[in-house]
Amino acid sequence: VIRPFGEAALLVDTGDADRAQALAADLATRPMAAILGTVPGLRSLLVELDPAARSAGDVASELEWRLASLGSPAPVGRERRIRVLYGGEWGPDLADVASLTGLTEARVVELHASAPLRVLFDGFAPGFAYLGDLPDALHVPRLATPRTSTPAGSVAMAGAMSGIYPAALPGGWRVIGRTPIALFDPRREPPAYLAPGDVVSFEPMEAGDWERLTRIPDDW
Amino acid sequence: VTVEILEPGPLTSVQEPFGRQGWRHLGVPAGGAADSWSARLANRLAGNPDGAALLEVTLGGLALTTDAPTWMAATGGLAARSGGIHLPATEAWRLRPGAVLRLDPGDGARGYLAVRGGFQVEAVLGSASTDLRTGFGGLDGRRLQAGDRLEPGASTGTPARWTGRRPTGPLRIVPGPHADGFEELLAEWTVGPEADRAGVRLDGPGIVGGEVPSMGLPLGAIQVPPDGRPIVMLADRPVTGGYRVPACVIRADIGPVAQLRTGDTVRFASVSVEEARQALLVAEHALADLEPMEEETDGDLGWAGSHG
Repeated sequence: VIRPFGEAALLVDTGDADRAQALAADLATRPMAAILGTVPGLRSLLVELDPAARSAGDVASELEWRLASLGSPAPVGRERRIRVLYGGEWGPDLADVASLTGLTEARVVELHASAPLRVLFDGFAPGFAYLGDLPDALHVPRLATPRTSTPAGSVAMAGAMSGIYPAALPGGWRVIGRTPIALFDPRREPPAYLAPGDVVSFEPMEAGDWERLTRIPDDW
Repeated sequence: VTVEILEPGPLTSVQEPFGRQGWRHLGVPAGGAADSWSARLANRLAGNPDGAALLEVTLGGLALTTDAPTWMAATGGLAARSGGIHLPATEAWRLRPGAVLRLDPGDGARGYLAVRGGFQVEAVLGSASTDLRTGFGGLDGRRLQAGDRLEPGASTGTPARWTGRRPTGPLRIVPGPHADGFEELLAEWTVGPEADRAGVRLDGPGIVGGEVPSMGLPLGAIQVPPDGRPIVMLADRPVTGGYRVPACVIRADIGPVAQLRTGDTVRFASVSVEEARQALLVAEHALADLEPMEEETDGDLGWAGSHG
C-alpha cells in the first residue's frame, strides 16, 4: 500500500522494518527519477519526491514494482556489545518495570541482557537506534508523564523496544540503566555507533568499571 | 571584518536555509532555517548564494556591531533598526563600523540576518546549521551569546533590492497518510505556548489523535498525539514520529507557520496537490524579483547607523 504524504512525499507500507531498510538501500543503489530522499520507519518508508519532475502516481507505480521484486531481505549488521550499569540512580525506573512486569529487578536485567536485539531503524534523535524486539515479558507502557530531560547514555524501554539516549533529551521511555559509551559523534565517520541491521547485546557492568570504559568504543 | 554579538535576544543561532541533508537514516534532523523562504531572500539581498549561513533570530532582542563597513540584509518577522533609523526588509544596507544593529519584535516570530559573503562557520555533517538539541554545528553547537564573534566570508555577488510580493492567506493543507481528522482541522486554532524550531502546537476544538508505528516525517506534517492537539512539524522535527498525521501544510506555507507566535490565531484551507505545486512555483518566482543595487554608494543612501 502506498499513500500520499502531503504534496511531495509518499508513505510506502513495507510491513516491517527490514523491508523498509531494504527498499531504502535499493533506492540508494539504483536511484529512481524524482526521488529526493527516503526515511525508513518501523513498518514504512517515507519517500520524498519532486512533484514538478514526475507525478506521484507514476513514482508510486514504480515503487510498487520495486517493492515486489525485493525478495526477503535480511540486513547484514555488525555485532555490538554495550555495557550497562543497571538500576539505582542510573536506572530510576527499574523498580517500576519490575512491578509492572511482575518480575524481580534481577530477572528484568537478565532478560534485557539475554536476548540480542536488532537495530530496526534510527530516529527520534541523532544516533538513537530503535532496538527490538524485547521478550514479551518485558513489554511495559511509556511513562504517563515524559521526563523533560533524560541523561545521555540512559538505557530505556517502551513496548517491544529498547533504546539508548545519545544526548540529554526529553523522553517518555522507562530508564533501567546507563552506559558510559557515546552513541553519536558528528565528527566521527560514521557519526552514529549503531546503524540499522546491527545486532546489539547488553552486558551488565559494575559501577567501579565506569571510569575504565572508554567513551568511544574500539569497534566504532 | 568581524561581527560581534552584543545581545543575543532569547534565541539566536547560525542556520543555513536548506539545512543538513543526507543523514536522516542515522536520526539526524534536517534542521536549517525554520522560515527557509525568508532566509533565502535575506541571502539574495546580501548578494549571497541561497544556502549561505546566516543568523536566525527569535522574537527580537538581537544587537550586534561590526568593525568595518558591512553589507547586510534582514528579512522575516522582525524589525531592523540602527541608531533610530528603520532599515528596510526589502533591500541590503551597509552598517557603519561601530554602529549598532538591532532586530526588534515585528509581525512574526523569526528574523534572518545575512551578511555579504555569508558567515564563515565550519560545516559539520555537511552543514553549518546549529542542531541545538544535540548540540553540534553552528558556533560550538549552541545558541549565540554576548561577545561571540563571527566573520563573513569572501563576497561572491552583488547586494540587491527586492520588488516582489509574498502572497498571504490561510495556511493551505493537503491530506496526510491518516484520513480521519482532516475536515476537523479546517477550523480556527490558537498557537499554544509550545512553539519552537521543531514544531508549533495548536489549541482548538481538538481532533482525533493517537499513536501509529513510527514513520518518517516530512516538513509540514501535522501530527496529532492522543491529546488531540495538532503539532505542525518544522525544521528541527525528529526524523521519525509515532502519531497520526491527517494533513500536511504545503511547502509554500512552511515559512508562515515558522512565523507564528504564541496566541496567534490560524485557519487551515484545503487545497489540491496541483494547487500546492502551483503555490510553490509562485513562492519561488516571488524570490526572483530582484534588482542589483549600486555597490559603491557612499552617501547617506544605503548606509545605516550614522549616529551609532
